[in-house]
Amino acid sequence: MEFTALFLAIVVVMLIAWRGSRALALSLSLVVLVACAATFLHHATDTLKLSF
Amino acid sequence: MTPARAIALNVLALFALAAVLVSAFVAQFLLGELPCPLCLLQRIMFALLAIGPILNIRFGPRPSHYALSLLAAIVGAIVSARQVLLHIMPGDAGYGTTLFGYHFYTLALMAFVAAIALTALMLLFDGQFAQGHAAKTSAGPLATAAVVLVIAVTAANFASALLECGFKACADDPVAYELLKG
Repeated sequence: MEFTALFLAIVVVMLIAWRGSRALALSLSLVVLVACAATFLHHATDTLKLSF
Repeated sequence: MTPARAIALNVLALFALAAVLVSAFVAQFLLGELPCPLCLLQRIMFALLAIGPILNIRFGPRPSHYALSLLAAIVGAIVSARQVLLHIMPGDAGYGTTLFGYHFYTLALMAFVAAIALTALMLLFDGQFAQGHAAKTSAGPLATAAVVLVIAVTAANFASALLECGFKACADDPVAYELLKG
């Protein structure tokens, strides 16, 4: 679900970058980037089914 | 490098990013390989990479726009490197099919590293920033097409992720679209 939300957020940021305010686009891009890093770190601590 | 030349290279970058995202879709629909969570995150980072070029085309080249792309590429490289390392043990068949002998996450790592290098190369040329805020011009049809294409492909990824995961956590090894299950 979080991946779906991130894609939607990026579409919104792209539209703002193309048609809206530069400052808002930059700020939201950084927010989305932090959210991506947080999502990665959250999943990086999942227990893995090891293949060996 | 003039601002116009820099913008032309940014347009090329957008077409390249769109091609990467479209090739991921080709693997998904032609080979039936649904993207795993790490795969989705790499697609997300490729999409985020595109925001820098979009800003460069709209507002003129600025170091901050390239910095955004650099940060996205660094995070993307970390994500794809993790997936490479998860399957690095001898005897591990890897995840998904290969293209030119490399798994998609390996190709993604190469692409993110290339993006870091190319963005850094672009930053070498100060001439593109010379006009400052006056560099903002109306985008030509090719630039507009590149921006529209990359937004459309990202929107398609949103729809695909929604169909695949539904309204719950995405499966670690997805084999079906959750929202299309009877």
